[in-house]
Amino acid sequence: MSGLSKSSLKMPVMAVLLVSLPFWVGNTYQLHIATLIGSYWVLICALNLAVGYTGILSIGHVALLSIGAYCYAILSGTYDLSPWFAAACSGLLGGLCGLLLGLPSLRLPGFYFAMATIAFSMMAMEFSLAQDDLTGGGAGLSVPPFPPPFDSPEGLYWLVLGFAAVVSFLSWNLVRFMWGRAMIAVRDSHVAASSVGVPIFRLKLSVFTFSGVAAGVAGALFASLQSYITPETFVFELGLFFFVCIVIGGRGSIWGPFLGTIILAALPELSGSLAHWGQFFYGVLLLLVVLLIPEGVGSAFVLLKEKLRPRKREKQVVNPDLQRLRAAIALQPSDDELAIPGQSGSSTLKPFKQRG
Amino acid sequence: MLSVLITGLAIGALYSAAALAYNVMYSTSKVLSITTGHIFMVSSVAGAFLIGDLGLPKVVGLLGAIVIAIIFGLLTELIAIRRILARSEDHLWLLSTLALATIVQQSIGLWWGTEPRAFPRLIPQDFTAGIWDQKYWLVIGTVALVALGLDLFYRHTLFGKVFLAVAEDPFAAKARGIATDRIRAFSYGIAGFLGGLVGFAAGQLTFAYFALGLTLTLFGFIALAAGGLGSNLGAIVGGLTLGLLSTFATYFFGGEYQQTIAVGLLMLFLLIKPEGLFGNKQVRHV
Repeated sequence: MSGLSKSSLKMPVMAVLLVSLPFWVGNTYQLHIATLIGSYWVLICALNLAVGYTGILSIGHVALLSIGAYCYAILSGTYDLSPWFAAACSGLLGGLCGLLLGLPSLRLPGFYFAMATIAFSMMAMEFSLAQDDLTGGGAGLSVPPFPPPFDSPEGLYWLVLGFAAVVSFLSWNLVRFMWGRAMIAVRDSHVAASSVGVPIFRLKLSVFTFSGVAAGVAGALFASLQSYITPETFVFELGLFFFVCIVIGGRGSIWGPFLGTIILAALPELSGSLAHWGQFFYGVLLLLVVLLIPEGVGSAFVLLKEKLRPRKREKQVVNPDLQRLRAAIALQPSDDELAIPGQSGSSTLKPFKQRG
Repeated sequence: MLSVLITGLAIGALYSAAALAYNVMYSTSKVLSITTGHIFMVSSVAGAFLIGDLGLPKVVGLLGAIVIAIIFGLLTELIAIRRILARSEDHLWLLSTLALATIVQQSIGLWWGTEPRAFPRLIPQDFTAGIWDQKYWLVIGTVALVALGLDLFYRHTLFGKVFLAVAEDPFAAKARGIATDRIRAFSYGIAGFLGGLVGFAAGQLTFAYFALGLTLTLFGFIALAAGGLGSNLGAIVGGLTLGLLSTFATYFFGGEYQQTIAVGLLMLFLLIKPEGLFGNKQVRHV
């Protein structure tokens, strides 16, 4: 929508700011938060394709994050394999679990699917608690860092930034072209989408599997950032947080959820009382957005701009060519059987006359 | 073994009640509210607070819990449902009820604490009663009464028939002069009453626990989906089956995979018989 010159200026500035963040940020803790937001964004960006574009209401995506995190922790920690291999396995396993979850449940209507994802996140929690020889149970599991140069806070930040950039680029590419159009069509109307030949189930399954892969990779990054994970790290509320970020940011855009993620993740860090009220605050925010601006906060800016500087609406008056119309009607054979079309034709002429 | 059976029946009755509450709200508004389980939670916490903390008589506690649950039901309709339905956008109600459920759950968690707290004994009884303990039979009895009462209400009172009419065809009902909006609000009040009564009776079984709501929302929904959306008989059969199944699974395989088994049941059911045991096929004309 925005002009090419504007967006081509915006992107490099943004990139420079993000890459140089470790140099101008205040302390290590803030860098930690930035890295955390980055690893959330790897998940949220792909989840946005599912929630924001395709309309798959996945509330329990935290399960896939936890699967990726545990896969990374177990492979690279317990079995002492290469962290890169472990991270790749996390992505694969996340994708596989997304596929297996999606196969039965994506056929279901929206609410059923949302419930299935809630149930899936509870199942993942249950498994991570029950399989204590694998996951350490409630006591948790320590996670090895990535190999140097990515073991320092700055290094990990750049690694996460790289992954985030790749995922953002991939989904940006998807939504601009045929796939994105198909996804929006599925979100807005199943019937219309399938009538123009969009393979609804296959599309949903692909998008959901992609979001599973991203969630698995995000889990590996997240685990390595936290350096110690327990089942309590992956509570259901975290999945709700991802979902709220997207809905508040606005469905059907990439910038909206991006800003939503940054703001929602950074706000509780700014003040202690907000952190205390964390989930309550997200709930209130979600309710307000859904009730007042269901298209997300991004649309509020657009609406405000419209209010402040209303566009000139061009008058589009249709002037019927009455002469030609009369000639065309006169050409019609005026048999008794065709009298009715002739009558209706003359009666439809009346409004034109009144307007003209 | 017998105690497992009784526990399963009691938990199943609770799930049935949640499924019934879903049905009551769904029939008039075609909305599956995520706040369904939270009605029960609010009622049990209110009961424990009024009787346990404030030391009020039990009857006052019961009435207070029910009134609070009814108010919660009506507020749900007012805040999260009415405006959304007026805008008639798909699935936005999922978000609004989810938001409201989160708000309620978190505020109860902040105020009441996140640990489960004991619910006071309602009838003087020894704790060694075993399978005759009131914590099982209060729930089972109350749910049976509620289900029976709901059926009588729907079938044998004019007001109940108005509900059925709205559930069957809101437009036709409106054309006959029924205030469908008010009936919808009433149905949320009835769901609140149902949840309040059962939530209070089940307090000793579930404890007054802030996270009870989401569990009941999920398991009540599984019971409903297995039994068939819109069918009260299905809700009861589905709830009892689910309760018995998960308790026996816990008994035989240990308590670690309770949710997994329940969800497995749901998936199996939805794949084989998407409309549930007693539900009607929802065919949409295009």
